[in-house]
This record gives sequence, structure tokens and C-alpha cells, in this order.
Amino acid sequence: MTRILLIEDDAETAESVIAELADRGFEVQWSPDGIDGLDRARSSCPDALIVDRMLPGMDGLTVIEALRKDEVGTPVLVLSALGAVDDRVRGLRMGGDDYLTKPFALVELVARIEALLRRPTDSRETTLRAGPLELDLIDRTARRGEREIDLLPREFRLLEYMMRRSDQLLTRAMLLEEVWNYKFVPATTNLIDVHMGRLRHKVDGPGEVQLIHNVRGSGFLLRVRQ
Amino acid sequence: MRQFHFIRSNTFLWALAVAAAFALFVVGLFAFIYWKIDDYLIVRSDRMITTQIDFLARLPSARRVNAITDHLEQDSRGVQYAGLFDAAGARLAGNIERVPQELELDGVVQGVRLDRITQSTDHDPVVRAGARRLEGGAILVMGRNVDETREISSVVGQALALGLLPAFCLCLLAGAGLSIRAQRRVEEVNQRVRRIVAGDLRERLPQDNVDDPFARLAGIVNGMLDEMETMINALTGVGNDIAHDLRTPLTRARLALERGRTHAATLEQLHEVVDKAVAGIDQSLAIVTALLRLAEIENNRRMAGFGDVALDEILREVCDVYEPIAEDKNVALGVAIDREVQVWGDRDLLFEAVANLVDNAVKFTPAGGMVRLELVSADKTALVRVSDTGPGINEQEREAVLRRFYRSDKMRHTPGVGLGLSLVAAIVKLHGFRLIICPAPGGRVEILVSTGATRDRAPAPQSRIARHARLDRT
Repeated sequence: MTRILLIEDDAETAESVIAELADRGFEVQWSPDGIDGLDRARSSCPDALIVDRMLPGMDGLTVIEALRKDEVGTPVLVLSALGAVDDRVRGLRMGGDDYLTKPFALVELVARIEALLRRPTDSRETTLRAGPLELDLIDRTARRGEREIDLLPREFRLLEYMMRRSDQLLTRAMLLEEVWNYKFVPATTNLIDVHMGRLRHKVDGPGEVQLIHNVRGSGFLLRVRQ
Repeated sequence: MRQFHFIRSNTFLWALAVAAAFALFVVGLFAFIYWKIDDYLIVRSDRMITTQIDFLARLPSARRVNAITDHLEQDSRGVQYAGLFDAAGARLAGNIERVPQELELDGVVQGVRLDRITQSTDHDPVVRAGARRLEGGAILVMGRNVDETREISSVVGQALALGLLPAFCLCLLAGAGLSIRAQRRVEEVNQRVRRIVAGDLRERLPQDNVDDPFARLAGIVNGMLDEMETMINALTGVGNDIAHDLRTPLTRARLALERGRTHAATLEQLHEVVDKAVAGIDQSLAIVTALLRLAEIENNRRMAGFGDVALDEILREVCDVYEPIAEDKNVALGVAIDREVQVWGDRDLLFEAVANLVDNAVKFTPAGGMVRLELVSADKTALVRVSDTGPGINEQEREAVLRRFYRSDKMRHTPGVGLGLSLVAAIVKLHGFRLIICPAPGGRVEILVSTGATRDRAPAPQSRIARHARLDRT
């Protein structure tokens, strides 16, 4: 069972997060302050950490810094009410792996934790495979089984990202940040949906099993495990 | 008590000190003059006495008595004294009673008291005299009244009284006057500042049309007050707008939840209600997030991410992102770049600005229309132009669209937070570029960027005037 340590001083937030993560099959430990949190992170070796930035006792970033100094590589998701881009950059620079601004959707939190736990290994292979899909990273060509898929560069980039994270929920915010390098929320809220619609149209041909799924209200999923 | 306040004031004390120093100096000067003149007169009379003694001593003794008598008769002012005594000290001629005891008989002239034959009643005159024993044993005493120095001292004293006293009084008056004037101005400023503190933001400091430091200071403070008034007014307006815009989605969420609580019979219905509520809350959050971003950019804290940015790449990327959206709307989106352009800036922010402009253009262009994204480069500047075949922004609305939350009435039904253009404006300002909104028909917004020597440039200070202009109009 995957164990997660949550260091968060607000009891109500912690309660919701713990309940949600428990529903998804995680075992969650909770620590309400920085010093205690650091102790637990050192002693119990969790698989992932969720750390709030503002903590009594010891600041969240200091906790992460201390852990990284001990060469603990556990993935860390930083939670913060500070949404400014500079704060985000600082959070990531101090050793956080991902940064989520409060208030956040629980789906978003879970999706990001799962993404952190299953980080794609940077394969040296030139061909990427997921289910019936095959990407040639050198020739920039895509196939589904025998069928050649004609993709625009931006579609290729999106499909590559999804194939590296197949069977994981990818939220719109994650896609914007990772694929389009957006550091802000675009005014057109369905931006991702339009792009995804195009891609799905090409990937899932008529009569074929649907691979790209729209998870209502949360994001998208490339399902290859049936 | 306020009238006497000035006595304790700094200006007055300084005037007093200057007056005192001036008086001391003048007194010193007069004393010096007096001392010098006195000295000169004494030296002169001493010389005369010595000459007379020498002259008389050389005369044969028979002619001395006559000579002395003549000498005294010629002295109409009665300032000359002379006496000839025999060896025993008995008077032979002259107007001196007896040989003064303190006088040495060596001819050296000194200050002395003389017993005169005709004593004038008023006072003992100051006398310089010398005595010498002549051949044959007779004693010659010659003297001279040097009372003139007293006259001089009285003249000097009068001059002092006539010159110094009025000058001193004038000094005090000027000091008091200046002090009262300064006091009055400070008091007036004080009262006006109190009114400003109490909330009257339109109050200004008195600014007479003279070019003195005080007026200049008042000018500076007034400039600051102008700026602050503008900002506070803008803030108040923004506060109202925020409250207004947040209320709409929150009201929707509230209504949905309220109805859902009483009417939802099945789980699906409940889900639907909750989704609606969450959507409402998400929109409120989006507004708050956008506002925070705007504040962050406007507060100039984001210079850290500056570097060399390829504008042409940004344009291509934005075009790439928006192509499918435009296509769905049946709007043609084209990009034209005449050559590569590098600017000094924050890549993410510039991307955001261009994306916002394109987003707007695509949103407001009706089906069948066209949106063009151009990069026109000149010598040291370049122009990012986003033009469309939509309705454009008319004259009256051009300033207003930069205001937060402004949405043209025609566009009320289109989704969006209404912060897009103000965000663009803030980003452009941060970079020291210029945002140009071209008149309708057809939408055209341009960003004038500078490409040469951008690294040393601070953000343009012209924004203040622009903001003034904007507020004057609202």
C-alpha cells in the first residue's frame, strides 16, 4: 500500500485530503506542524509527501530543504496559498516536485500525487508504446496498430505526454503547464478540450476502442489497460 | 497664545542670534575705531608738546616768559597749558599752579593731573604733559588738554545709538515677520493636511505662484496627492467591481445549492446541483486569481524572470494554440512575421499578453471573419499587431477597456472574467512597452516593443500620465 505523509496545519483541509486519498487506496499519515512532520518523514519513509508552505514550527520549504540535504528523494507536492509565480518557482527550486495553489480541487491533488508516484522513466528508447499506440520519437510518426495517424506537431507533443502517463488522470491544469507551458489560466476555458477533441478524433477512429477518455469535471485519461 | 508662538520658533531665534551677532560686531568695530582715534590724537598732542618744549628750551631765558605768554594768548580754545618755574618751583609764567609731582623732569610726555590757575568748574580735564629742567635750573612744563577723545567717544556712542539700535530692531522685526509668515504657512498646511487625513482627498496644499522652496515642496506634495487620489479612486472603483463580479457566480452557486437541497430527489439531480455550485465557485476563484496576478504584475515584482525572448516564436506558439479554437468558430487565424525579433522581457508574461489579445480577437470575431497576428519590425522597435474583422473598440470605450472588469455592454453575454486587457496593459507597462488600441471598424490592438538596448531600460514612467487621463474621463 502506498503511504503518504501529509504535513498541513489546517485540520479541516487535512481531513478532506485524508478522506479523499484514503478513498483512492492510499495510507495517509498526518502531521500538523513542520518539526513533527520532518521527524516523521525521516522515521517512516513515506512514498510521497504533501507539504503545506506555511507551517507552525518550521516552514514547509525548510522541511523540504532539510530532507533534500539528507538525500531523501521522496517526491514532494507543495501546497500553498501563495499563488504568485515567483513563489511557485521558489517552491520548486527548494526541492518540491510539484506545486499546487490553494484553493485546489481534490481531484487535482490526487491526480498530481499519482503523477508524482508514477513518474515516467526517461527512457532512451526511440519508440514509445502504450496499448495499440506507437510513437516513433525520431521520425515523429504515430501508429495505432497498423493504422498510420497523421498528427500535427502540437498533437504529437500532447499524445507523447499522455502515453508517458497512460492510465493516469491528467487534469487540464497539468496539461496546460506541461504540454503548452502555460503559466496562467487562459481566458478561453475550453482551450484544452478543443485540442483534445482534435487528437481524439485522430486517435480513436470509427469502430475502434476508445482510448482517450474525458473524465467529467476533472480532465482526461489515456486508457490502455482494459 | 498663538501670537507669541513665533518667539519660540526657530526662524525667530535664528533672527535673534543674527541680530545679536551683528550688534556685537558693530560694537566691536566702533570700539576699535574709538581706540585707534584716541591713540592717534594722543600721539599727535605728545609730539606737539615735545616740539613746544624743544622750541622753548632753545630760546634764551629772557624771552621765555614772553614766548609762553604769547603761546597761551594764541590758544583761543584754552586747551594749551604751559608753566615756567624757577629752580625752587616758584611760578614765573604760564597758567599752571605748580609742577605736578608725578611728572619726571626729562621731557617725556605722560598723562597727568594739572593744577591750573583758572580752574574751570565742571571737571578735571584729561591732560597730557611733559616737563624739562632748562639750562639755568628753571623748569618748563608744557601740557595739552586731550579731552577731545571724550567728545569722540560721545559721538561714537551717539552713532551707535542712532545706527545700531534701529538696525537691531529691524533685525528683530524681520525675524519676527518671517517667523510669523512661516508659522502661518505651516499652520495652513497643517490644517489642510488634517482635512486630507480626515478623508477629504481633493484638498491640496497652498501653492503660491512664487518659486521658493516652500512652494516647490508644496508642489511636490500636491503631485503625490494627485497620484494617491487617482490610485485610491481607482481602488475604490475596483473594489466595487470585484464585489459586483464576484456576486454573480456566487449567487448562482447559492441558488443552485438552495434549490438542490429542497428539490433534488435523485442522486443524479444532486450531482448536477453540486456541479453547478462548484462551477460558480470556480468562476469566483478564477476572478480572485486573475486579480492577484494583476496585482503581482502591477507591483513590479516580476523582473526576476527577464531574459532574451524571441517574439516571433511566441507569436507562432500562440497561433498554434489558438488555431483549433479559431477553426471551430470558423474564423481564419493567420500569422505573418517579417523577421526574427528579440526583446528583453519575461517570456511567460509576453506569451500571456499575446495569448490574451488573440483570445479576445477570436472571441469577438464573428464566424467567417479573420484574425491576423503580425510582427512588423523596424530599426529599434517592433510592432506586435493583432487585428480582426470583429466589431473593434469604439472611441468612447478605448480607455475603458483597460479598466478592470470592463466589458462592453454588447459583450455582456460572452464568458470571461473581464480582466484580460488590463492584464495585457499591466504586462506591457512592466516591460516599458506601449499598448495601442486602434479605432474601429475592425479590432486592432498593437504592442510597440523596443528591441534595441533593452537591457538597461527601466519600465516607462509615462504610465502615470496615461492613468490620469484615464481617470479624468471616468
